[in-house]
Amino acid sequence: MSHWLLTETLHLSEALLLAEGLPGWREVLLCRSFWAILLGGLAVWLLLPNRIAYGKTLGGVLGIIGAGLFAADWPLLGNWTDQGVFWLLALITIGAAASTICSRSPVYSAIWFALSILGTAGLFFYNGAQFLGVATVVVYAGAIVVTFLFVIMLAQPAGHSDYDRITWGWFPKTFSVLTAAVFVGLLTMLLGNLKTAAEAPVEPAALAAAAERLEQPGGVLNSAHMANVGKHLFTEHLISVELAGTLLLAALVGAVAMAIQGKPRLATQIEEALR
Amino acid sequence: MLEILIKSAVLIGGIMTAAAYFVLLERRMAAWVQDRIGPSRVGAPLSLLGLKDLRLWGLGQPAADGLKMIMKEEYTPSHVDRRLYVVAPIVILAAAIATYAVIPFGSLLPPMEIGGEKVGPIQLTVAPGVDVGIIYVFALSSIAVYGVILGGWASNNKYSFLGGLRSSAQLIAYELPLGLGILGVVLASGSLNLERIMAAQAAQGWYAILQPLGFVVFVVAAFAEAARLPFDLPECEQELIGGYHTEYAGMKLLLFLVAEFLHMITASFLIVILFLGGWHFPLITGEADATIISWPVALARLLVLHGKIFLVIVFFMWVRWSWPRFRFDQLMNLAWKIMLPLGIVNFVAVAVLEEIRHSYGPDESTWAWSLGIIAASWVVFAAAWLLTSVANPLVTDNRPRRDLAPLEVDSPL
Amino acid sequence: MKADDPNIKWIEEPKLGLAGKMYLPLVAQGLTTTWKHLSKSLRGETVTVSYPDEEPKIGNPLIYRGVHRLNKDEAGRVKCVACFLCATACPAHCIDIIADESPWSDREKYPQSFTIDELRCIYCGMCEEACPVDAIELTSLYNLTGRSREEMIFDKEKLLSVYDATKEQEPMQSPALGGTAT
Repeated sequence: MSHWLLTETLHLSEALLLAEGLPGWREVLLCRSFWAILLGGLAVWLLLPNRIAYGKTLGGVLGIIGAGLFAADWPLLGNWTDQGVFWLLALITIGAAASTICSRSPVYSAIWFALSILGTAGLFFYNGAQFLGVATVVVYAGAIVVTFLFVIMLAQPAGHSDYDRITWGWFPKTFSVLTAAVFVGLLTMLLGNLKTAAEAPVEPAALAAAAERLEQPGGVLNSAHMANVGKHLFTEHLISVELAGTLLLAALVGAVAMAIQGKPRLATQIEEALR
Repeated sequence: MLEILIKSAVLIGGIMTAAAYFVLLERRMAAWVQDRIGPSRVGAPLSLLGLKDLRLWGLGQPAADGLKMIMKEEYTPSHVDRRLYVVAPIVILAAAIATYAVIPFGSLLPPMEIGGEKVGPIQLTVAPGVDVGIIYVFALSSIAVYGVILGGWASNNKYSFLGGLRSSAQLIAYELPLGLGILGVVLASGSLNLERIMAAQAAQGWYAILQPLGFVVFVVAAFAEAARLPFDLPECEQELIGGYHTEYAGMKLLLFLVAEFLHMITASFLIVILFLGGWHFPLITGEADATIISWPVALARLLVLHGKIFLVIVFFMWVRWSWPRFRFDQLMNLAWKIMLPLGIVNFVAVAVLEEIRHSYGPDESTWAWSLGIIAASWVVFAAAWLLTSVANPLVTDNRPRRDLAPLEVDSPL
Repeated sequence: MKADDPNIKWIEEPKLGLAGKMYLPLVAQGLTTTWKHLSKSLRGETVTVSYPDEEPKIGNPLIYRGVHRLNKDEAGRVKCVACFLCATACPAHCIDIIADESPWSDREKYPQSFTIDELRCIYCGMCEEACPVDAIELTSLYNLTGRSREEMIFDKEKLLSVYDATKEQEPMQSPALGGTAT
C-alpha cells in the first residue's frame, strides 16, 4: 500500500518537476531545504511512540536543527518584529502538529491539535485574514476538537487504552514518514520556488507591490473581501450551497435514524417485559 | 503602540479591580437578599500604625480575599495530571481576558494635546476596527471551554470530571442560541464590528426593543454561557462539591474564580452593547455617526455605557437568588427545544421585517414605519413565546416510571 | 419495598397553569420576592446584627438558657438546700454538689460546695426545672468565654456572683412571668 502511494507520489512529483524544469542532483544536494526535510522526517520518525533509547530527545534536537536549516533557506519577509511573530506562530503550529501525532495519550493529541489550529488561526490573523482566522477557531478549536475531547474523555477517562499501547511496527511508520517528507519537500520546492529564491533575494519594493495588490478590490486584504465571497456564494453558487446544506441535513436525519434503529421503542420494551 | 499598551493596561487593571469589587457587591447582595448584613468590616488597617481601624463599609474586603487566596498553600494532589492541571486555569483566564481586545469600553475621546503633540480622536477599544469583533468574542468563549474540560479531566476526580463534562455540554448547547441571538443583531445592523453595532442602535433604536425575542434568547444563553445561577450546573455545590475546580487550591483556584467572574462581566458588556444601545441614551449622547465629539459627550457616553453594564451585572446578581437551579435535563430541554427554535424564529422574523423595510419602506425612516416594525416584532415575540409554552412546557417529569416497574421487580425503592 | 406496593401512595404533581408554562410570570414573581427582602435589608431591617458593636436582642430573657446562677434569699444566704435533684436530672452530669449540715435552722442541708462544669453543660435547663426551691436558674448571659478549662468550672462563689450581677435585669422567676417558683 505504502509502496504504491510512494510511487504514485513520485510519479506526480516527477510530472510537476518536469513542468518546472528538473533540478539536477547537485542542486538538490546543495539545497538546505532538502536536508532540512530529511532531518525533519527522521525527527518525526524518532518522536513517534517507540522503544529507542533517548528517542524523544534525539528527535527533538534533530527537529530543531531541521527547522533551523529550513528557516535559513527562506527570504526575510519584513522587519524583525514581523519576522519574529511569524516564526513563533509557525513554530507553534508545526511543533503542535508534530506533537499531535507523537503523543500517546489521545487527550494530549487532541489538545496539541487544538493548539496547532490556534497557531494556524494566528497565522491567518497575522496575514490580515481576520474572518478566516476567527472562523477556524470557532469551527475547529471551538466545536470539532471540543467534541473530540468530549468523546475521548467519555470513552476513556483513564487516558490510555489498550490499542494506544500497541506500537505501529516499523514498516508503516517508516513509510508514512517518508511519504510525508517527500510530499512536503516537493511541494515546498515547487510552490516556494526555493531553488531560484535562494539565489535572488526579494526586493522590498516587490513585497510592497504584492501587499498593495492584495489590498485592491477582490484581494484578500480588502475589507470587502469576505462580503464578496458571501455574495458569490449566495448568488452564483446558491444552488450548490443549498444542495450541500440539504445533503448535510439528510445525513443528520440518517444518523438519527440509524441511532434509533438499534433501540426498541419504550412501549415494545414494556410489552416484552410484561409478557 | 503606546496607545494600545495604555489602553490594555487601563482595561485589564480596570476589569480586574472591578471584578474584585463586584465580588464584594455580590456578597453584599447575597446578604441583603437573605436579610443579613454581609461583609462590612474590612477597611484600612490603621491599627498597624497605632490608630483606630477604618471600616469603610467593607471596601477592603476584596484585598483581604485576594491576599487570602494568594497566601494559601498551593496544594497539588498527587493523583492529578500535572501538566494539564497547571495549564487549565491559565487557558481559561487567558481566554477570558483576551476577549476584551475587541470589546469597546467607551466610545471616543476627543482630540487632545499631550506634551505638545496632537493626538487624534482615540477609540476606546484595545483593537479598534476589528471587523469580525463579535465572532472573535464567540471564538474565545469557545476556547474557554478547554479550561473547564481540562481542569475537570486533569483533576482525576469524579466530581471534577462530571463538572467538566456538564460544563462542556452546557456551553456547547448554549452557543447555538447565543449565536442565533447575535445573528439577528448582525442582520439588522449590517456589521460584525461592535462599535458599528452600537452606532447602528443609536440610529435605529435599541435592539432590545426592536428584537425582544432575540434579546430574551440572548440573555438566557448568556446566563448559561457565564454559568450563572439558574444554570450553574458545572459547579453546583450540592451535587458536585465545586465542580471542575474541586481539586484546585490557592492561586490556581483564584484564576478559575476570576475567569468565571470575567465571563459574567463579558456577558454584561455584550448584552449592553448588542441589545441595550451601548453608549446611546436619548438626547445626551450626541450624534451617532460623529467622528469628533466634545468632552461632555464623551464623558456622558462613558457614564451611560458603564452605568448600563453595572445595572446588568446587578441584575445577574439579583437573579442568582431569585430562582432555583435547573436540573440537567431541563437545561438541555430549554436549550434545544425552546431557545433554539425561538432563536430561529427571531432570526427569520428579523430577516423578513428588514426585507420588508428595505423593499417597501421609505428611504428616511419615519415614526409610523418604526412603530410598525416594533409592533410586529413584539407580536412575533408574544406569539412565539405563547406557542412554545403551550406546545412544549418547560417542566419535565422525572418521577420514577411506574409503568416500567415490572422491568425491575427486585429493585429496592 | 417495591414500586407497586399497596402501601405507597402516589401523589400526582400539580398541573402547571398557563402562567407556569409561560414561565415569565413566575420569573417576575421570583424577582419580586427577592426584591422585597433586598429593599428591606437596605432599609436596615436585617435579622443579623454586627455583634461586638451591637448586642443581639434576646426575645424573653427569662426563658433564655445561658450561664447558670445560684439564687440568694432575702437574707443573702444561698437558696439551695442540697437536695441533689438538679444533679440527678442533669443529662450531662456536669453538676457536682457536696452537701453539709446546714448552719441555719430553717433547713437541714446546704451545699458546702456547688460546682458546674460550664463546658460539659448542654444548657438544657433540666436543673432549673428540677429545683424545688428555685435556687438554680439559667440567665441570659450568652457570651461566656474562658482561657482554660479550669476557668470554666464555676464554683459556688462564682455562681452566686453571677446572681449578684444579673439580679437587677433578671428578677427571680415568678409564676407571673412563666417561671416555676411557688
